[in-house]
Amino acid sequence: MTADVSPEVCPHAANPPRYPFAWSPPMEMPEALRDVHGSSAMEVTLPSGDTATLVTRYQDVRALFADKRLSRNIARPDCARISKDNDLFMDPHIDPDPPKHTQVRSLVTKAFTARRIESLRPYVQEVADQLLDEMAAGPRPAELNEAFAFPLPIKVICKLLGVPAEDRDQFRGYVDGFLAVTKLPPEEIGKARQNLWKYLGDLIEAKRANPADDLISEFIRVRDEDDNRMNEHELHFWCQGLLIAGYVTTASQIGTGTAVLLNRPDLVREIQADWSLVPSAVEELLRTQIMGSSVGTMRYAVEDIPLSDGSVIKKGTSVLLSEEGANCDPAVFDNPFELDIRREENHHMTFGAGIHYCVGAALARMELQIATESLLRRFPSIRLAKPANELPRALGGFMEGFTEIPVDW
Amino acid sequence: MRVIATPSTCAVSSLCVYRLPTVFDQDEDGLVLILDDHPDPTLHEELHRAARACPTNSIKILDSD
Ligand code: SF4
Repeated sequence: MTADVSPEVCPHAANPPRYPFAWSPPMEMPEALRDVHGSSAMEVTLPSGDTATLVTRYQDVRALFADKRLSRNIARPDCARISKDNDLFMDPHIDPDPPKHTQVRSLVTKAFTARRIESLRPYVQEVADQLLDEMAAGPRPAELNEAFAFPLPIKVICKLLGVPAEDRDQFRGYVDGFLAVTKLPPEEIGKARQNLWKYLGDLIEAKRANPADDLISEFIRVRDEDDNRMNEHELHFWCQGLLIAGYVTTASQIGTGTAVLLNRPDLVREIQADWSLVPSAVEELLRTQIMGSSVGTMRYAVEDIPLSDGSVIKKGTSVLLSEEGANCDPAVFDNPFELDIRREENHHMTFGAGIHYCVGAALARMELQIATESLLRRFPSIRLAKPANELPRALGGFMEGFTEIPVDW
Repeated sequence: MRVIATPSTCAVSSLCVYRLPTVFDQDEDGLVLILDDHPDPTLHEELHRAARACPTNSIKILDSD
C-alpha cells in the first residue's frame, strides 16, 4: 500500500511522523511545521497506518496543485488511505480528473461568480445579525459554535443549494458522522453516510418534481437534459460534496478563527479601531488555521515528478499537498508563525491552487468577513470564557477545529 | 503596461475581480474577462499583486505596449 518513494524524498523514512501534525498548545500552529521546509517532501504516517509523501514547500505545493502528473483519483487500490474506516473522497465511480472534472466544475462555477456571491451578501448579513440577536438574548456564556459559527454557513449553503430549512439539524448529524476519521466507530460512520446519501436522494427526487431557483435544481436540469454530462450517481455525489464543503469548512473556520482572535485582545482592539482590517485579518486566520490539515489533498502520482530540491516523487506514490506547510514557508511568508493581521500579500494555499481551487472560496471569504465584523461590532467586549489552552480540539475527524468555544461579553 | 488574461485556465476564484473591479470581470460562467487592458499607472502595483495571487497564473502583465 505504501508509495514507492525514493530515499532522497523521505529523510524520516525509518520512522515517518504521524500526520496530521498535533496542535499543541491548541492555539498555535503545529510545532512540527517549523521543521518541514528543509526539503521539498517528507514521508508521514496517516491514521490508517499507511504512509504518504507530504510535499511541504510553497513553491512545490503550488506547482503540484496544477500538475497533471498528480491524479485526484485516489480510489486506486495501491493509493494510501487516510483512514481504514472512512473512504471519504474515494468514490470509485467518480472521476475527479479532467476532462470529467472540467465538465462538472463549469456547471458549479456559474453559481459562484463574484456577482452571484455579492447578491447573497444582504442575506448573509441578515442571518448573522439574527443569530447574534438570539445569542445576546440567550444564556451567558454562549457557546460560539452552536450559537453562531455553525448555523450561519448552514443557512447560507441551504439557501444556495435549495435544501429546506427544516432539514438542517437532520443532515447536520449525518454530515458530522460522515466526516469522522477515528472519533466514531466504523458502523456509525457507515450509517451516517447511508443516511446522508438517502436524504439527498429523496431531496433530488422532490426537486425533480418541483424545481426551484437553486443550485440542486439546476444540476438536475442539466443532468436530465444531457446524460453524458453527469449521470445520476455523479449528480448525487456532487450535491453531497457541495453541501458538506459549503458548511463544515466555513463553520470550523468561523469558530476556530474567532477563538484564535479572541485569544489576542490586542488584535481585536486593533480591528475595532479600524474595520478595514477585517479582510486581511480573515486571510491571516485562514493562513494559520487549517483545521483539516491536508488530509483532503491526497493525490496519486501517475508519472515521476521532480521537485524543487532535486528529489523526485516516483510514479505510484501517494502524495499529500501540505497547505499548512506552504502557508508557513519562510521563503514566502515573513515570520510565518506570527499572526499578522496586516499582512499585505497573503497568497496562502488554504483554498488550494490551480484547476481545483476551492469553488466556494469567495463565498467563504464573504461569510468569514461578515461573521467576524458583525460579532466584534455586536459585542464590543467579547472574550473567551475559558482559558484558551483549555479549549478542546476536535481530533479524529477531517476537520480539527475547536469543539467548544464559550464566549462572554 | 498591458494586462491579458486566459479564461480557459481560470478557476473562478474571483480574487482578481475583488481586487480590481475596474480591470477584471467575469462572464456568465465565471471566467475572467478584462474590462480595461491598459490600466492606469496608479493601479500597477495592485495589478502585479493580482497576477501573483491568481491561483492558476491566468493573468499576465506585459511591460511593453
Ligand atoms: S484570479 Fe485567476 S483564477 Fe481567479 S478569477 Fe481571476 S483569472 Fe480566474
